[in-house]
Amino acid sequence: MILLAKVGIGLGATLALTAGWVLHEGVIRIDVDEAKPDGAHVHFWVPATTVSAGMHLAPRHSLQQAAAQARPFLPVLREVAKELKKYPDAELVDVRDKSNHVRVAVRDGRLYVDAVTEDGENVHVSFPAETLSDVADGLEEASPGI
Amino acid sequence: MKPSLRQFILAAAASLAVNTFAPVPGLAQTQTASSKSDQWIHVRVESKDDGGETVRVNVPVDMAVKVLPAIKHQPLHDGKVRIDNGHMDDVDLHTILDAVRSAKDGEFVTVQSHENDVRVAKSGGYLLIHVTEKNHADKEAKESENAEKHSKHANSRESKVEVKVPMKVVDALLSAGKDELDIVAALRALSSYGDTELVTVKDDDNTVRIWVDSKNVSD
Repeated sequence: MILLAKVGIGLGATLALTAGWVLHEGVIRIDVDEAKPDGAHVHFWVPATTVSAGMHLAPRHSLQQAAAQARPFLPVLREVAKELKKYPDAELVDVRDKSNHVRVAVRDGRLYVDAVTEDGENVHVSFPAETLSDVADGLEEASPGI
Repeated sequence: MKPSLRQFILAAAASLAVNTFAPVPGLAQTQTASSKSDQWIHVRVESKDDGGETVRVNVPVDMAVKVLPAIKHQPLHDGKVRIDNGHMDDVDLHTILDAVRSAKDGEFVTVQSHENDVRVAKSGGYLLIHVTEKNHADKEAKESENAEKHSKHANSRESKVEVKVPMKVVDALLSAGKDELDIVAALRALSSYGDTELVTVKDDDNTVRIWVDSKNVSD
C-alpha cells in the first residue's frame, strides 16, 4: 500500500513538475474568428515546448528546405528573441486604415500579433519571444552548415 | 509520514513553485536597465487619403544596434550600408563633412527658386537640412490629363522636408570609410542624445515623422 502511495506521489509530482515547466516556458495561443454566419472559429493553446519537439518530428527534407531559405535570417531571429525579452511592454508596429488593423506588440516577454481585416476576420497569435530562438535552433540543427 | 517521503514531497513542491513562479531569466534585470534611459526610435507615417492609413513603428535603439549586424542582405552587411559607387564618384562625402565640421555655425547652402527652397545649415551641433518643394502639384497637373482639376489646388500644395541630425551622428555615419555608411555607429551615437526630432516630411497627402525619445510608445 505504501509502495503504491509512493508511486502515486512520484507520478503526481512528476506531472506537477512537468506542468510547472510547461507553464514556465509559456504557451502559444492562436485565435482565428471569422465574422460571418458559417465562419470558422479556431482557438487553441499549445505549450511552447512542443515547438522544438515538433521540429524533431517534422519531415527532414521539409525542414532542410525551410532552413535553406531561412538561414540568412536565423541570426536575426535569435537576436530579436534575445532583445525582445529585455524590453517592457511596447507596441512595435501598428498599421491601420479605415478597415484593417495589424499590430505587433511585446508584453511580458511574449510577442502578440493581432490582425483585424475588413472582412471581419480576426487573427490573434501570441507566443513567448523565446520561441523564435527555438525555431532558429531547430532550423539550424535540421541542416547544419548550409 | 516517514521523513524521506515528507522530504520528497517538500522538494517536489519547492521545485514546482520555483519553476512556476521564477521570473524569465534576465527580464527583471533588464527591465531595471531599460528604465534608466533607453532610447526608442519612432517612425510614424500618416496618409491623408481616403483610406486614412497610419503606420507606427517603435523600436528600441539598442535593439536595432544588436539586430542590424545580424542582417546580411545587400546592401546591408555588418550594420553598414554600401553606397553605390556610381552615385558617389564625383562627391567626396568625407571632405565635405570635414569642411562642415570645422566650420562655424551658419548657413552653408541657401537656394530659393520658384520650385524649391533649400537650406543647409549647422546650428548648435546639429546639421539642418530644410527643403520646401513649392507647387509640385502644379507640375504634376501640367503633366497629367486632369490639369484643370489639379490646378485648382496647385497654389496651396507644397511639400516640406526637415532633417535635423546631430553632427556626432553624421560623423559616426561616415566613420566606416569611403563608400559605406555605418548605421550601427550612427545609432549608438544617436542613443547618447536626448529626445531628437530627426526627420519630418509634410505634404498634402502624407506626413512622415522620425524621432528618438525615451518613450516606448508613439505620441
